[in-house]
Amino acid sequence: MKDKIKIVLAQISSKREDKEENLRRFEQATLKAKQQGADLVVFPELSLTGYVVRDQIYELAETVPGPAIQRMENLARNTGLHIIFGMPELSEKARATIYNTAVFIGPDGLIGKYRKMYLPTHSVFEEKRHFRSGNQIAVFDTPLGKIGLCICYDIFFPEVARMVRLQGAELIVCISASPAVRRSYFEILTAARAIENTAFLAYVNLVGVEDGLQFWGGSRLVSPTGDLLAKAKYDEEDFVLCDVRYSDLRSAEAFIPTLRDLRPELFDQLKRLSECF
Amino acid sequence: MELKPSALGLDLPDVGSRIKRFIRCYVENTGAKGVVLGMSGGIDSNTVAALSALAIGGENVLGLMLPEKETHSQQEIDDAKLVADKFGIKSLVCDITPALERLYSSIPVFDTADKLCKGNIKARTRMIYLYYYANKQNRIVCGSSDKSETMMGYFTKWGDVAADIAPIMDLYKTQVRKLAQHIGIPAELAEKPSTPGLWQGQSAEGELGIKYELLDLILFGLERFMSPAEIAEQLDVKIAQVAQVKARWLSVEHKRRMPLTPKLEFRTVGSDFRLPIEAY
Repeated sequence: MKDKIKIVLAQISSKREDKEENLRRFEQATLKAKQQGADLVVFPELSLTGYVVRDQIYELAETVPGPAIQRMENLARNTGLHIIFGMPELSEKARATIYNTAVFIGPDGLIGKYRKMYLPTHSVFEEKRHFRSGNQIAVFDTPLGKIGLCICYDIFFPEVARMVRLQGAELIVCISASPAVRRSYFEILTAARAIENTAFLAYVNLVGVEDGLQFWGGSRLVSPTGDLLAKAKYDEEDFVLCDVRYSDLRSAEAFIPTLRDLRPELFDQLKRLSECF
Repeated sequence: MELKPSALGLDLPDVGSRIKRFIRCYVENTGAKGVVLGMSGGIDSNTVAALSALAIGGENVLGLMLPEKETHSQQEIDDAKLVADKFGIKSLVCDITPALERLYSSIPVFDTADKLCKGNIKARTRMIYLYYYANKQNRIVCGSSDKSETMMGYFTKWGDVAADIAPIMDLYKTQVRKLAQHIGIPAELAEKPSTPGLWQGQSAEGELGIKYELLDLILFGLERFMSPAEIAEQLDVKIAQVAQVKARWLSVEHKRRMPLTPKLEFRTVGSDFRLPIEAY
């Protein structure tokens, strides 16, 4: 496993309902990432289709594997890069059961996927109307290290990042489609999840305007001690190449020993309390 | 939450940028040649006109001034022209009096004394002019309704609120006034009293029965699920006053939505027919 990997925060806007165009944008950014020596390219949540597609989601969702995955596998194979992106995933066992999914692809093909567990259904969000919740965390042991995935609103729940960290993830990748009025929450929470788990956290957010929603971008790489290692522009498309150096984790864990100080017995209490809340 | 004027504070450069981006994206994605809007000389339309010009260039913004003889105010026209000139907006004055007089005379039961019904005809006639230019010149109709008016239903249904986009509908009147000054609209225009201009001497605050400074804070509290009792206590006003605002806020929902229809089929417009707006 490499000690240092290069990540591209590919902060793109999506053309809604146009998978072909969005695949072209994935290809364009991935080729650029290849030229710049990247190992991993990360695209935002639901960037294959756009976020505000409402009931069109039933036409747009695809299985994993499926046609879009095949295109992305070819891209990963041809470039030798790893790619993470978001898409609506149609269940292979049903016709209209869809997950909000992050897909992880490597040069050898599909590595795995993560189905968003916390689906926001409040304010402007209507995800539970369309998506089924995932029910398991996802951590992948890859040549680029142990990488855990989460999606947008998951980051409001410390248990998701904590679970992937305890599963061994040293880099947490959070893909997102967060509208501007929530920027301050994510800026705080991305740092919090990184610090409390002493893990690297790469956050990649959508940009663009979809109906009245404006996605704020601001993608970032946060160090295990909460430092902002790289940051993309607000509100505009951006392409940021940044480094993760895993050997930094030792000093971070020693300086902020949250993992050493975990109290498993409290989790039993937490479970009981949350069940009767 | 503390209800005080600072609660309505905005990051004005950020809000201005977001509104401009919203207008620019919508116009670009729809392939329109620009926007058209009614310029009454009031703060809302002056602000939207200026934001539109900053977003897509004044040459792509058409400001229609649509006076009629009963409410004609040279001062309002001059104020609109001042903003149009400052932001390089193309403007045009169309007197709608002849159209209104033909309309009045063609309605068998027309009641000249009923100024509300008559005023609504004026607002809806202006809408017709705006949409004519929009159709003819491939423009987007850019609305000027603010959040205070929208929450209180203080507008003419299918009249002044009729538009393709409403760039400041999420800003209360007092916030619009601040944004206006931030983008360069002179203070005397930003602070002048609002009027829908449907009859002589009409005043928004007079008709609403409350100052915008107070109304906006009450609406802000209601928006954040505060109870009338909490709001009244914090603002040191009578609970009956807050309750009155809340009652109106609730009763005018019909003006803010698609018309209700009985649920008869699989997907129904206005309830569960949910598609994205084709903004591309």
